[in-house]
Amino acid sequence: MSHQTNNPRYGFLIDASYCIDCRSCMVACSVENEVPMDSTRIWIEETGVTGTYPDLKRFTAPFHCMHCKDPSCVSACTVSALTRNEDGIVVYDQDLCIGCRYCLYACPFSVPNYQWEEPLPLVIKCDMCFERLGEGQQPACAATCPTGAIQFGRYEEMLAEAHRKISEQPDKYVPHVYGEEENGGTATLYISPVPFEELGFPIAGTTSPAYSNRLVTEGTPMVAGMMLVGLTGAYLTIKHLKEESEQEREESAHGASSDAAKKEE
Amino acid sequence: MRKLLHELETMPKFMYVTAALTLFGVGVGLYRMLVGLGPTTNLTSAFPWGIWISFDLATVALSGGAFTLAALVYVFQFEDLHAATRPTVLAGLLGYSSVMVILLFDLGRWDRFYNVFLHPNISSALLEVSWCISAYTLILIYELSPVLLANTRLKFLLPFIKKYTVPIVIAGVTLSTMHQSSLGTMFIIMSPRLHPLWSSMLLPIFFLVSSFAAGISLVIGGASLSNWLFGRSLKIKTMAKLSWFIPWILAFYLVIKFGELVITEEWDLLFSSGTYSAMFWTEIVLGVLVPIVLFSIKQVRFSRTWSLIGALFVMGGAVLNRFNVTWFAIAGVDGETYSPHWMEIAVLVGVVAGVVTVYSVIARYFPVYEETETSHSKDEQPRPLEQSHAVGD
Ligand code: SF4
Ligand code: SF4
Repeated sequence: MSHQTNNPRYGFLIDASYCIDCRSCMVACSVENEVPMDSTRIWIEETGVTGTYPDLKRFTAPFHCMHCKDPSCVSACTVSALTRNEDGIVVYDQDLCIGCRYCLYACPFSVPNYQWEEPLPLVIKCDMCFERLGEGQQPACAATCPTGAIQFGRYEEMLAEAHRKISEQPDKYVPHVYGEEENGGTATLYISPVPFEELGFPIAGTTSPAYSNRLVTEGTPMVAGMMLVGLTGAYLTIKHLKEESEQEREESAHGASSDAAKKEE
Repeated sequence: MRKLLHELETMPKFMYVTAALTLFGVGVGLYRMLVGLGPTTNLTSAFPWGIWISFDLATVALSGGAFTLAALVYVFQFEDLHAATRPTVLAGLLGYSSVMVILLFDLGRWDRFYNVFLHPNISSALLEVSWCISAYTLILIYELSPVLLANTRLKFLLPFIKKYTVPIVIAGVTLSTMHQSSLGTMFIIMSPRLHPLWSSMLLPIFFLVSSFAAGISLVIGGASLSNWLFGRSLKIKTMAKLSWFIPWILAFYLVIKFGELVITEEWDLLFSSGTYSAMFWTEIVLGVLVPIVLFSIKQVRFSRTWSLIGALFVMGGAVLNRFNVTWFAIAGVDGETYSPHWMEIAVLVGVVAGVVTVYSVIARYFPVYEETETSHSKDEQPRPLEQSHAVGD
C-alpha cells in the first residue's frame, strides 16, 4: 500500500505566456505517433478573448498527460495496461487494454482519449515520447515548439526553473506552479500569467485519489479472509447451539417419561 | 416437433413480445460490435460510461437478494426462509448473466476480455468486481443446479452437490460482499468527478447495505408478481418474515449515510446544491424513509399488494442511487452532458427482455417454486397450463 511519491526523472515546464497557439506541437505529436490530427495526444486550453477593445487578450497553453507521481489511471486500470515506469513516465500497453474506459473517468485531468470510431479501439494518451528519449532526443512537442513554451529536461531542473521564473518576474506570473502539487504532484509543470482556472485547467486536489483507492482495494483480500472465517464460525456456532438445544429437549422429554415410569413403579 | 409447436402455442402471449425484443436488441448489439462505439452510442471521452454501466450497477444491487438470503438460510440457519432461496437464486443468476452480456457489448476490446484474468491489476476496484462477479456467477449456477438437474439423468449428482452446499454458499456470500462493495469502491478514485453528496470513502459500505435491502425487496416483489402471473408464489408468512428485515437495514443505511455527511461537514450541501439536493432527497425519502414506515406496519408485511408497493419503493430508491452515482451526479468536462443513443436503449431492452423470457421458461418447466405455496391447487408439480385448469379449482 505504498504511497508512491518518488520524483519522476524527466519533466515538462510549459509557460503559457509564450504559447502563441500555432499548434505546431499538435502537428508534431500527430506525425510522431502516427495519429490523425483530431485525435492527437495533445490539445490547446485557452482563456478565450478577455479584456475590452483595444486591450484584448487571449492566453493559450498546450495540455497533455501530466504524468502524475501517483497516477489515478494506473491505479484504476483493470489489467495493468497503464503503468508508471522507472523514469516516472506513465505508459500504455495497447496489447493489454480491454477497453473498459475506467482510466478516462479516473484521471482528474480528463487526459486519456478514446478511438470512438474504431471497431476495436484503443486509448490515446501521451507517453512522453519515451522512445525518442531513449535515442537522446526531446519529446516531439518540446523539440518543435518555436517559442520555447514547452521546455523539457530533468524534473528537478524544470521545477527550479519554474520557481526562478516566477520569483524573477512576480508581476508577470501568478505565484503558482501548476503540477507541483496537483493530484499529488506531476511531471508536467505549468506557469502562467493568468490563474489556471481561467485557462480552463481542472482544479485538482493535492493528494491523488489513487491513494484512497488503494487503501480500500488492497485491504480487500484481508476483509475477504475475515469474512470466510467469520461466516464459517457463525455457521458452526449456530449449528452447535441448535443441536444442543435439541438434545436438551430430547433429554428432558426422556427424563420426564422416565420420571413418570418411576412413579408408576 | 409438433410437441414443441404445441408448447409454443401454450406460452403466455407476452413471451412473443419479449422474444421479439430480445432478437432486435441482440441484433443492434452485434451491429455495435461491427462498427464500434462511436456511431452506436452517445459515449464520449468526457462521458465514457453511460446507461449500460448504470444498468449494470442497478441490476447487481437488485440481485443482492441471492447472497443475502443464502447467508440467512444456510449460515444463520433461518430455515423457515428456505423456500425463498430457489426463485431468488434464479433471479440472481439471470441478473448477473444480463450484466455480463451487457458488459461484453460495452467493452471496447471485448475480443480480449480474458486479459482480466491474465494480467490483473490488484489495486483496481474494477478488477475485483470482474473477478468476483465471474466467480459468483459460477457459484449461483452451482446453487441452482439441484433445480435444473432434479428431473434429469444427472440426478445422481445431487447428493454430492448438497454435501458441499454450505462451504460453497460461504464462499459465495464472501464474493458477493466483496463485489457489491467494490462497485462502490470504483467511484472513490472518481471523487474529482462525482458530486460530494454521493462521493465518499464509505461508498463500498453504502452499496453493500443498500444491496441487502434492494435484493430482499426484489424477492418480495417477484414473489407477489409470480403469484399473479403463474399462480405460484411464496407463503405470505415467509414474505413477511423477509420484509421484517427491511426497516432495520434501511435505518442502518440512513444513519451511516447522514453520519458521513455530518463528519465530512458536507451536510450544508443537502439544501444548497439545487437539482443535486433534490435528487438526493428523492432517493432518501422515497427509497428509504417511505419503505421504513411501510414495512414497520404488520398489515403491510402480511399483504401481497402492499408488500409489492413497499418493495417497489426500495428498489426504485436503489436504482435511482446507482444512476445518480454513475450518471446524474457526475460532472461533465467543459459542461458536456450525456443522454443515451436509441441503440444503447435497444440493446438494454433486448437483454432485459431476454432475461424475462428465460425466467418465464424456467419458472414454467423447472421446479422453482416447488416447496412453496401454489395458490390454485395443492399439486406441487409444475404442469402445463391447460392441465392446471382441469385439476385446479
Ligand atoms: S494525468 Fe491522467 S492520464 Fe496522465 S498520469 Fe495523471 S492520471 Fe494518468
Ligand atoms: S481502457 Fe484500457 S487502459 Fe484504460 S483502464 Fe481500461 S484497460 Fe486500462
